[in-house]
Amino acid sequence: MSAIDGLVDEVVADVDAVLLFSPSAGTYEAFADDDADVPVVVVAQENAIDAETFVELPLAFTDVDGRLRFGLEGAAQNGLVEDGDTVACATSMFGDGMDTVVRVQADQYSPTGVYNLFVDSRPQPDVVRDVFEVCIELGRKGQKGKQVGALFVVGDAGKVMNKSRPLSYNPFEKSHVHVGDPIVNVMLKEFSRLDGAFVISDSGKIVSAYRYLEPSAEGVDIPKGLGARHMAAGAITRDTNAIAIVLSESDGMVRAFKAGELVLELDPEEY
Amino acid sequence: MQVDVPRFIRRLFSEEAAFAFSVAVLVIGLVAAYLAWRWTQRALTASGFVDAVEGTPFERSVRAIGSSTIGLIASLVAVFVYVLAIVLALNIVQLLDIQLFWTRLTSYLPRLLIAALAVIVGVTAGYRAELAVSERLRSVKLPEVAFLGDVIKYSIFYVAALVALAQVGVSTNALLILLGAFAFGLVFLGGLAFRHLLAAAAAGVYLLLTEPYAIGDEVRIDDRRGVVQEVDVFITRVEANGEEYIIPNQEVFQSGVVRVRG
Repeated sequence: MSAIDGLVDEVVADVDAVLLFSPSAGTYEAFADDDADVPVVVVAQENAIDAETFVELPLAFTDVDGRLRFGLEGAAQNGLVEDGDTVACATSMFGDGMDTVVRVQADQYSPTGVYNLFVDSRPQPDVVRDVFEVCIELGRKGQKGKQVGALFVVGDAGKVMNKSRPLSYNPFEKSHVHVGDPIVNVMLKEFSRLDGAFVISDSGKIVSAYRYLEPSAEGVDIPKGLGARHMAAGAITRDTNAIAIVLSESDGMVRAFKAGELVLELDPEEY
Repeated sequence: MQVDVPRFIRRLFSEEAAFAFSVAVLVIGLVAAYLAWRWTQRALTASGFVDAVEGTPFERSVRAIGSSTIGLIASLVAVFVYVLAIVLALNIVQLLDIQLFWTRLTSYLPRLLIAALAVIVGVTAGYRAELAVSERLRSVKLPEVAFLGDVIKYSIFYVAALVALAQVGVSTNALLILLGAFAFGLVFLGGLAFRHLLAAAAAGVYLLLTEPYAIGDEVRIDDRRGVVQEVDVFITRVEANGEEYIIPNQEVFQSGVVRVRG
C-alpha cells in the first residue's frame, strides 16, 4: 500500500491552503487543531461549525467542478487564497462524506466569475439563489410534464424596463410579490407558459412578466447553438447591470449570464 | 343572604335537619367540585389551550411536579368550589360563630383564585409573546433585537403581577404610576424616535397601494431626476447616471413627483 500512500502524499504535498467542502465538525476540529501552518477554509451552505474562514455556497452544487470553482473563486475574492498558491480541496463526489481530494493551482484554472455572479452582482445574493432554485425546479419537473423555457432578468429593473416593452398585460402589475415565497414560485411556474421575460428587481420584487427585451445585441458572444432566448439574455446583461438566468427549452439546462457572458451552466436533473 | 339561609333552614326544620342539610351540601359540593374540574379541563383542552402553553417554562416546571397547567387550573377551580361548599356547610350548622371571618373569607376566595389565574395566564402569555416576537425577528440578525422580546415578556409579567396584587388587596398605586410612566415612555419616546420612519411608512403604504410611479418610470423628485429602481415601504430608489438617490417616502409626498414622459 506504500505506492498509494505515496500518491496521496504527493497530492497534498506543499499545499498553501486547504479547502474543506461541507466538513463535519470533527473533521474541521482536527484540521483547526493541527499545528501545521496551513490555512483552512470551510466552504459550505451554512457555517454550522463556526469556522473562522468561511465561504458560503449559495447552491448545493452537485457537480464537483462547479463546487470547486465556486469555493476557489470565493476564497480568492476574500483574500484567503492568493494567485500561484497550491490548494488542496477535500470534498465528496459520491454521496455523503469526504471521498475526494483535489490538488489545484489557484491560477491554473480560468475563473468564470461564478462567485461574483452571486456575491458581487447588483441583486442581493439570496434573490439570485431563489431565482436559480425556481429555474432548477422548473427545469426538473417542467410545466405539467412538458419541458418549458424561461428567462429571468434579475436586478437593475428600472433600466431593464426601459430597454424592453410589454407583449401583453403585466400579470404582476400592482402586486407586491417577491421571489422565494413558495406561493410566488408556483405562480412563476404557471406564468412560465407566457412568452417573454420575467423582470425581477434588486430586492427580489417581481416587476413584470411578458416583457420583450430590446437590447442591442452587438458584440454579444454566446456559444453557438443557443437560441434567441439566450441571445436576448446575454444582450440585456451587456446593456444593463442585470444578470439573466435562463432555462433552456431545448436542452433543459439552466444558464446564467452576466455582463454579456455565460457564467454558469447547471443541469437541473442533477439537483 | 348567607346569613339568612341557615336561619331559614333552622326555622323550617330542626337542628338535626340543619346538620343533615350541611352534610348534603358537603356531598353536593364534592360532586360540583368534580364536575367543575372535569368541565374546566375539557373546556381548556377543546379551546386549544394545550398548544398555547406547550413548552413554556411554567408548563415545564408544573410538569416536573407531575401535573400540567390545565390540571393545575382545573384543580384550582375544583378546590375553590369545594372550599365554598365547606364554608357554606359550616355556615349552615353554625359550628363557628365568627361569622365575620367567614363572610370575609368567602369574598376573599374568588379574588385569590383570580390572582392565581392571573399569574398563570400572565406567565404563559409572557413567554408566548416573547417566543412569537423572537420568531418574527429571527431574520434580523442583531443581538440587540433579542432585547425587544425580553421587554415584552417582562411588561406582561408586570401587568399580570399588578392584576394579581390588586386582587389580593395589596396597594398597587405606586406600581400603577410606574406602569403609566413606562407606557408613556414607550409610546411618547418611541413615537419621537420613530417619527420619521412612521411618516415614511405611512407614505410608503400609499405609494405601494396606488403605484403613482412604478419601477422603470423616469421621475423627478425635488431636483433629483432618474429612473425608479425600487419602491419599498420606507424608501424609493432613483438612479441616474451612476448615482443612486435613496429618498425617504415622506419626502416624495411632501415635495411631489414629476413623472417625465418621453
